[in-house]
Amino acid sequence: MEFIPGFHLFLGQNAQGKTNLLEAVYLLSTLRSFRGAGHAQMVRQGQEGFFAGGTVVEQGNHEVKFYWSSRKKSLGLDGRPVRKLSEYFGLIQAVVFCTEDLQLIKGAASVRRRFLDLLLAQTQPGYLALLQRFARAVRARNALLKQPRPDAPSLEGFTREMLASGGQVMQCRRDLMPQLAPLAVDAYQRIAPDAEALRLEYQPSVKADFEVELAQSRQRERVLRSTLVGPHRDELRLLLNDRSAAQYGSEGQKRTLAIALKMAQAEYLTRRRGAPPILLIDDVMGELDARRRGGFLPLLEQARHARGQVFMTCTEENWPRELSRDLIRWEVKTGTVKPGAANPAR
Amino acid sequence: MAHLPEPLAGLISELSKLPGVGPRSAERIALHLVQSGRADTRLLADAIVNASEKIQPCQICGALTEIQPCGICGDARRDPSLICVVERAVDILSLEKSGIYHGRYHVLGGKISPVDGIGPEDLRIAQLEQRLVEQPGIQEIIIALGSDVEGDATSYYLAKRLAPKGVKVTRLAQGMAVGASLEYADELTLGRAIEGRRALES
Ligand SMILES: Nc1ncnc2c1ncn2[C@@H]1O[C@H](COP(=O)(O)OP(=O)(O)OP(=O)(O)O)[C@@H](O)[C@H]1O
Ligand SMILES: [Mg+2]
Ligand SMILES: [Zn+2]
Repeated sequence: MEFIPGFHLFLGQNAQGKTNLLEAVYLLSTLRSFRGAGHAQMVRQGQEGFFAGGTVVEQGNHEVKFYWSSRKKSLGLDGRPVRKLSEYFGLIQAVVFCTEDLQLIKGAASVRRRFLDLLLAQTQPGYLALLQRFARAVRARNALLKQPRPDAPSLEGFTREMLASGGQVMQCRRDLMPQLAPLAVDAYQRIAPDAEALRLEYQPSVKADFEVELAQSRQRERVLRSTLVGPHRDELRLLLNDRSAAQYGSEGQKRTLAIALKMAQAEYLTRRRGAPPILLIDDVMGELDARRRGGFLPLLEQARHARGQVFMTCTEENWPRELSRDLIRWEVKTGTVKPGAANPAR
Repeated sequence: MAHLPEPLAGLISELSKLPGVGPRSAERIALHLVQSGRADTRLLADAIVNASEKIQPCQICGALTEIQPCGICGDARRDPSLICVVERAVDILSLEKSGIYHGRYHVLGGKISPVDGIGPEDLRIAQLEQRLVEQPGIQEIIIALGSDVEGDATSYYLAKRLAPKGVKVTRLAQGMAVGASLEYADELTLGRAIEGRRALES
């Protein structure tokens, strides 16, 4: 299938395969599901594996192919296997808006760390490798701490690795905040009805000195047998009028905030690259009232002006009719996609 | 697989234990073997048995060899004051190809990896210390482990443990990318890495 630049609307009843389509695009971008499904869960029932592939048209064409089964995984770029994920990441930049985004507010700190990490991995060439290195060092260290009598020099060896890579991870996250936070605040103001003041606060687990604080935690580490200080414990605090959005925000505020964070992600990617990312919008427009949709529109317009792509799913009842101009409509029915009926508004 | 004759199924199962051979290729190789000439398969079988009986790790350095000690340990022209520590025996081949190194080797047999349950006692570190005692001329240990997390942690560990023995401990210059292993490094990079080696702080 070929999608020209512009605004693609996938219409269909429930359970016809609309989300499935967006997921394929997101999968090629990040190699993950945005619903939080594991790879095994994405395999069609009764099949051994799945395949997603596409041609990325930008400066020159790139052929990407991703196959996954429990036995064999392969990622190909222009006919060659990709050796390092960090070399692949960033080729296809996509931002997804979906109902699971609410977890950014309600969920555990790990959801917010993943949000920051994905954005950094999409924009900074070395970040993914750094993060993987840090994770490896922590895992090794935790495995040592679980032993009855951890070998001290081995522990020290992995601790050094963790301090070095972890320090850089924290630095990258810290440097991102002054750029990301204002974008989120702006986006929130555009779509929130009463415009409470939003504040984003990076709250690293390490307050001042990683090495010192890690050393101070040794006693507790020995008892709990795992690494207690470091960027794997960082938090991104979200405050509305100086109070925790998770604890005090209304459902509507939380939803608005989740969308604002994603808008900030899209805006940040646009500024970094000079071109908008692919926007994948799954069901969320239907949930918003007219006013919030109004705040959302400029982002979509911007994508259109820059000849970007927007993919949006809706059921027949709730598609946003104010967007009827220049829509490319598709019908999704029992897993097949075909060009939709002529736009009635035209 | 239920219909396969037992000897064929057995061959497939043995082949699929080999590194890099999945069930599919094991099946393909096995089918090829049972359908090729008797003489050819006999040659292959003999070659396998012959190699596995004759090739042993060198008792000194751990390199794969047919004679004891290996050609490198037994070569009087090689610089006896230098020992290069590598992870696996195949790493010696990469370094030898670069042609720039004229000392001797020591194969560690792995890297410290707590996640996989590999500790320092599982590596040939005691044998290395033994060499330092038995061969008093050794002046420098060059650590040539990959620069991934385990490689770096193991290098640090070795530097710490060898520090009191009165030898200089150095590490290959980080000319190679993060996580790179010796196997993929080209000869030029390896040469530069050896020339630019640095002392390890411990
Ligand atoms: N692993 C799987 N194998 C086979 N079918 C699956 C698998 N996972 C999900 N499905 C089914 O695929 C169908 C399409 O799902 P999808 O989420 O794409 O629907 P949708 O069109 O987005 O629906 P909605 O409007 O309700 O969001 C559903 O019936 C779903 O149950
Ligand atoms: Mg859906
Ligand atoms: Zn030898």
